[in-house]
Amino acid sequence: MITDRVTYEQLLGISGCLGLALLAHITTLPLWVPGIVVACGIIRLSLARVGRSSPPGSVLVTVAVLVVPLLLVRFHTFNGLVAGSALLSVAAGLKLLETRTRRDIYIITLIIYFVSLAALLQGDSFWLLAYLIGVCWLTTATLLRLTSSGPAPGWRRSLRYGGRVLAQALPLALVFWLLFPRFAGPLWQIPNDSQIPASGLSDTMSPGDITQLALSDEVAFRVRFEAATPPNRERYWRGPVLDVFDGHTWSRSPTTQGPPALKPLGPGYKYTVMMEPHRHRWIFMLDWPSSWNLPRAELDGDYTLTQIDPLSRPVDVVGASYTQVQATEALSSGTRSRDLRLPRDRNPRTMQLARELRSAHADDMEFVQAVLAMFRQQPFFYTLNPPKLSDDSVDEFLFDTKRGFCGHYASAFAALARAAGIPARVVTGYQGGTLNPYGDYWILRQSDAHAWNEVWIEGRGWVRIDPTAAIAPQRVERGLADVAGTEESLASAWQLRTRWFSGMRLRFDMVKQLWRERILDFDQDSQRKLLEFLKIPEPDGQKLVMVLAVAMSLVLGWLTWQVRRELERSSKDETVRAYARLCAKLAAAGIARLPHEGAEAYALRVARLRPDLAGTVMNLCRQYSFLRYAAPTTSVTLGQFQAAVRAFRPKASAAPKASA
Amino acid sequence: MVTLRQAAVKQLRNRVIRRHGRDSLPISINRRRIYILPTRFGFMLGAILAAMLIAGLNYNSNLALAFAFLMSSMALVTMHHCNRNMLRLSVDATTEVDAFAGREAMLEFELRNGSRIDRRDIEVRCMGGAGMESVAAGESATIEVIAPVAQRGVTRISQFELRTRYPFGWFYSWTYVQGSITVYVAPAPHGSRVLPSGSAQGTGSHSDARGDEDFSGLRAYEPGVPLKHMAWKVLARGGEPVVRSYSSLAAQPEWLNWSMLDGLDTEARLSQLCLWVLESDAAQRPYGLRIPGKELAPSGGAAHRFACLRALAAFGVAEP
Repeated sequence: MITDRVTYEQLLGISGCLGLALLAHITTLPLWVPGIVVACGIIRLSLARVGRSSPPGSVLVTVAVLVVPLLLVRFHTFNGLVAGSALLSVAAGLKLLETRTRRDIYIITLIIYFVSLAALLQGDSFWLLAYLIGVCWLTTATLLRLTSSGPAPGWRRSLRYGGRVLAQALPLALVFWLLFPRFAGPLWQIPNDSQIPASGLSDTMSPGDITQLALSDEVAFRVRFEAATPPNRERYWRGPVLDVFDGHTWSRSPTTQGPPALKPLGPGYKYTVMMEPHRHRWIFMLDWPSSWNLPRAELDGDYTLTQIDPLSRPVDVVGASYTQVQATEALSSGTRSRDLRLPRDRNPRTMQLARELRSAHADDMEFVQAVLAMFRQQPFFYTLNPPKLSDDSVDEFLFDTKRGFCGHYASAFAALARAAGIPARVVTGYQGGTLNPYGDYWILRQSDAHAWNEVWIEGRGWVRIDPTAAIAPQRVERGLADVAGTEESLASAWQLRTRWFSGMRLRFDMVKQLWRERILDFDQDSQRKLLEFLKIPEPDGQKLVMVLAVAMSLVLGWLTWQVRRELERSSKDETVRAYARLCAKLAAAGIARLPHEGAEAYALRVARLRPDLAGTVMNLCRQYSFLRYAAPTTSVTLGQFQAAVRAFRPKASAAPKASA
Repeated sequence: MVTLRQAAVKQLRNRVIRRHGRDSLPISINRRRIYILPTRFGFMLGAILAAMLIAGLNYNSNLALAFAFLMSSMALVTMHHCNRNMLRLSVDATTEVDAFAGREAMLEFELRNGSRIDRRDIEVRCMGGAGMESVAAGESATIEVIAPVAQRGVTRISQFELRTRYPFGWFYSWTYVQGSITVYVAPAPHGSRVLPSGSAQGTGSHSDARGDEDFSGLRAYEPGVPLKHMAWKVLARGGEPVVRSYSSLAAQPEWLNWSMLDGLDTEARLSQLCLWVLESDAAQRPYGLRIPGKELAPSGGAAHRFACLRALAAFGVAEP
């Protein structure tokens, strides 16, 4: 059977399944890869349509020879998820092209299963999983249509059968998933070939950069505090620290030293940061981080937590921070000179202003206050729609436009402080966040991106100064509607104002977060908690395997019962048995059915011989005929018939009246 | 590899015989005698599943693991379904089969499905032949296995195999039934000698012009009678089906005798006798068969024909 030639219908089914599986890869694969597969499918199908077999092997070899180098040029390797998926997809396409027998289709189903899995390794949404399970269901139903002798069962039938197998597999899969031991780390290094572009903050800042982020609702990360939540004015999430200024753009200098020691002054906070993959190496921690549980990350000299590899997958970091600290060592001379450096001949008016302010305020802190007072008293505006600035951006901002976003203020402040001889730098990160009351965690969106400053004050260390906070509240243009007159932003502003909508959004985010915490982040620790919940003392890996074995045998036992249950006698047999009982009762009453006698004839004879039984017996025999021979939708059920036969108790007639 | 497998299968078959002994047909297949193994495709699926599992663990992806576990569980469920497809199926076989050497034997098996589910793609394998059929819920089906037979003789089949790879072709389950089927392989009917006719002992020629034969009366219908001999008018009047019989040469029964065929070797003689039996039967003439050790008195009809053919098949081999 297995070497049978494939039909057009079978080809159509399997091509459809393959196409649906590839659809899950559409965002990661270069479009020409699925294009090739679709072309292969169309060619093969049109050949089958006119009753021709697959093209000769030479055509396939030519296509393979053309496509494989193309893949290599594009990916440089086949060792990686995207490259591997691309290769597998092309292989499936070629296989489709050369499909002759059912065996070829079997191979394609295997490729479909694996391609689906590859998509799940890259994605993490519930819908993707549901979609791919659907694809797998469809593929399996296709398989059912292949193995049949005689005419293939219809699609609905096949899908129903496949669905039943899938449903019966679910409990077992759940047990496996919950109890199969997880490893702490990967078995081998995962090749990092994710195609997601970097997002969020970058490690340079030009005026207006952060403004673009401010328009984005995208979630940067979420935070759950273990006990106390720090007040809003202390919730600064530290990202890249920028200390090199060219007069327009701030950027990072490579740090060589480790982080300087700090002495905590206030309470510590414990929390979990759940990062979305942003393709940068830094992780946003509450100012100032003191511990974290990420083995491949460490603090750099500027107290930014930095990973060795860019973040290409969601990562959870359990960390602790002190919001108030004091430096215990002096600023190194290298750092001091770096954090005082300004580009020569740039922003001359700013330099002049700094000199004037400095002569009035000799103390560093007083100077800082004077600058903040200037921002507060002069008509500086906070706006999401600042005017464009030229090369001497600070001059232009401070003296001409006076309208800016946090980046403008941080940039100007740091330039002024440096000009006054106070070591200063720009810190980028996120500030504040939205509490999700449904899930009790904080959401930090890209619109929460912020830039602030740190100045070195002798005896205190780095002190955080947020110049943006100094602007008088009446000059803060916060509403998004003020930003741009475009329709989208107006619509989103309307949505933001709608309480109902924002509530729904938070609820939705809560579900997403639950999905992430309960499903995506299910790990050894969760399994330990599960065993504790099951009241198993001192849970460990060995006990986990034992519980898995027990649960599996229970589920398999249930499965055996479930599968065999349907093997009960057919209703037809039951009908015959009930009728036989009826005949036996009548025989005991003196009227045995003759071997050739049908139900109706027998009933008539009984009615003739025993008029007292006529009604009942005629009725029962009619019911029997209906159940046995009529279409299944008749008024009487098997159960009713059986009950009626059981209730039927004919009395043996003392004198056979009709013997004459 | 193949020989290893064959050896294992042979060992299993012998073990089954020792364990279950003879089966009296019909027999209902219980779960103790159903074996199951993955097909080659099933092994490939297993390899893919293992790869899925390792990938999921390595990438620490709970979704990929969920998918891999779901697929593995489906494979396990499928194993049960494959096993169930054969469970409590009632099997019967035609225990005596006639065939001619060099042609094919048609073995008939009957499957009865008393359950509420359809059994699909049940394959019966016997004597190197195979046939496949589906049996709907509460129905029965006849499976015909066409097996080539080369040698004249009497073949005793003591075991046949039922096999299924339903539903997805990942597993195949099979069972051996120890039912005995006797296949009588009559010699291939051929030869050049003319059918002897009693009346023409001297002339040595026999008339094949049936038109000359005289109508001698009516006799009961038997399967195999040419339709043109049917007495349709009698049937149309509501009578029993009868055929016209002709008496031309039928009056004297003919002896088909081993000793008439001097100068031929054993198999050639048997082949010639076989051809004669068939010719006599087709001509509706009574005939008797006389071979060393066996004599069948002259008669006619299908039962007699089969008896003669079986006698020829069994000549020189141990009578079953």
